[in-house]
Amino acid sequence: MEYDDGVDEHDTPAEVDAAFRTLRRVAITHVVLFLVAVLGVPALSLTLGWWSDGQLAGGMSPGFAMAAFGLYAFFLVIGLAAASLSSAVEARMLGGRHTGEDDGFPADGDRS
Amino acid sequence: MTAAGAGTLAVLLALVTLVTLVMRPRGSSTVDFYLAGQRVGVASNALAICGDYFSAASFLGVAAAVYVSGLDGVWYAVGFAAGFVPVLLFVAAPLRRFGEFSIPDFLGRRLASERVRLVAVGVVQIVILSYLIPQAVGSGITWQLLVGRGLPGLSAYATGVVLSTAVVAGLVAFGGMRGTTWTQAIQFLLLLGALVWLALAVAGSGFHYSSAVAELSAEPLANPAQGDDGWYLRPEANQIDPGTPALFGQPGAAYGPLAQFALILTLVLGTAGLPHVMNRYFTSPTGTAARMTTVWVIGLAGLFYALAVMLGTAARQQIAAAVDDHPWLDELTVDGVLRVPEHALPVLGRIYGGDSGLAVVAAGALVAVMSTIAGLLLAAAASWGHDVYERHINPRASESQAVWAGRVSTAFVAVAAGVLAIAMEPRELTPAVPSIVAAMVTWAFAIAGSALTPVFVLAIWWRGTTAAGATAGMAVGGTVSVSMFVLGALPVGPGLGETLMTPTLVAAPLAALVTWLVSRRTAPPDDVERQWLVLHGTAADRHAERLARLTLASLEPTRRRSGRAARRREGRGANG
Repeated sequence: MEYDDGVDEHDTPAEVDAAFRTLRRVAITHVVLFLVAVLGVPALSLTLGWWSDGQLAGGMSPGFAMAAFGLYAFFLVIGLAAASLSSAVEARMLGGRHTGEDDGFPADGDRS
Repeated sequence: MTAAGAGTLAVLLALVTLVTLVMRPRGSSTVDFYLAGQRVGVASNALAICGDYFSAASFLGVAAAVYVSGLDGVWYAVGFAAGFVPVLLFVAAPLRRFGEFSIPDFLGRRLASERVRLVAVGVVQIVILSYLIPQAVGSGITWQLLVGRGLPGLSAYATGVVLSTAVVAGLVAFGGMRGTTWTQAIQFLLLLGALVWLALAVAGSGFHYSSAVAELSAEPLANPAQGDDGWYLRPEANQIDPGTPALFGQPGAAYGPLAQFALILTLVLGTAGLPHVMNRYFTSPTGTAARMTTVWVIGLAGLFYALAVMLGTAARQQIAAAVDDHPWLDELTVDGVLRVPEHALPVLGRIYGGDSGLAVVAAGALVAVMSTIAGLLLAAAASWGHDVYERHINPRASESQAVWAGRVSTAFVAVAAGVLAIAMEPRELTPAVPSIVAAMVTWAFAIAGSALTPVFVLAIWWRGTTAAGATAGMAVGGTVSVSMFVLGALPVGPGLGETLMTPTLVAAPLAALVTWLVSRRTAPPDDVERQWLVLHGTAADRHAERLARLTLASLEPTRRRSGRAARRREGRGANG
């Protein structure tokens, strides 16, 4: 049975559009950082001798250490940061009290 | 089969069956069967996604790739682990908020087009079958390794294929998404447990990771090859600098410069288009929960692949050192190097744990296969049962009929995969075996990343995406990836072949470009603004969270009364 507590939950198009644009910036910023890291590690292995030949404590090269465990830690950090920021943006920008009137908003991808 | 192997397998299957029985769907609704009632928590869904995602290719294949190619094999681990970051950034939360049953369902409703839905069903089925057949092949190989004999009239390989697909199809048809969620979560914990045990055993024996990499990189990398005079160690050619030997810790043992990036991008982009993984996001209660689920998956994937890379390195060093003390290694190795690299983890398990250790690792491989088969069968059932049967064959189907359609689809797809896997049986356990498994899994990632991911991401993030654009994008992405893959299988020359076999680098941008160009010339759906509110708004999330809070609040007085009664009973007990 559907429970109805009488509270009307809705977002206005203007709010959603503003949140969408902010979230898109968050996603693009993080994906650029992600791509720099995930493609940068093999790129450095191909271009810099010390990245593959140099030895950290014990003898492992910086390139191998990054590929073997450094990158996974980076993925977790960037994922956690992006998820926290995105959720904070949504909590801040959506779910406010409404007057019942939607304002005009620019439509992304609108060809008019 | 040893007693330890039989015991391990029996306990494993009993545990999985018990969980499925306990967690089976209570109702007969399609939401319950396909989406576990959309009430799967963050941690349990993350574990189930890992169970879906970590197949035999991850469990045995990554360690084997590192074992045979050193750093070039590590790129598999990087690509598999990295794939969930784009999922988190672009897909997880909006996909759940839109709230459908499958990828074709999402695209069909978002773009208001049955043609898009049907084209997506076609692509999804190709991806599922490409992924399912190597899993079934893997289960046949694992059965050979673990049991070594077949049912009357069947080879050990065929018995493994038939039993694993039949058992998993039965569990999925009976348990639906709810039962499968818990079995997959437990299967992943068993899988991770096997890996952690092996890592602890290796580390406890005095293995030093960093010095092992340095030691292995000190001499040219060589692997067994069969010549006219039998097996011998052949130095690997360096694909980057042909004049120098390939080394374990440096790039070039398997891939040229472009192929290294092509492989990583194929795996990264492919993850967001895998139907069995993406369908799991529809089971989360909210978009925010789906997002946090992905963070957990990224963490667990990092742990899993870091261990797999370490064990691949350990196997390269430790197996060579153990040949003198373990005469059974003679028939498996050439001068201390395994003939079949996929044996790296099972052999390491036997060295450190005897027959029981071998049974634990082989059972882990079987669990990985079964768990992934379960996810793929459910995705196939959702696609055929919901997107084809309910929408096109019997639009007036009752909930019960729709659920049965899903169960029947599960059986059909399982039979198809089993038959194809038996038809593709490798003649013997040679290096040809892993090439089938690895190639077909990469193939699934390539098609998913080329045909589905670009359209999927555009449909979520660009209002202007149209049905015609999506159809053209999927067609171009699929066709280009298939063509490049076929070309790559031909003798086109060193370096180019590997790049063609991982076609996403070219096919995905082309698919995105075609989707954009065609969409610019056609009209988006009329209700795109309303859809945008559902995709990117959080009203439904807030509603679900408020209901959960109200439910908890309504339960609170009952809990308090129970607590007071318990305290009174305790008090009377103490006084009396």
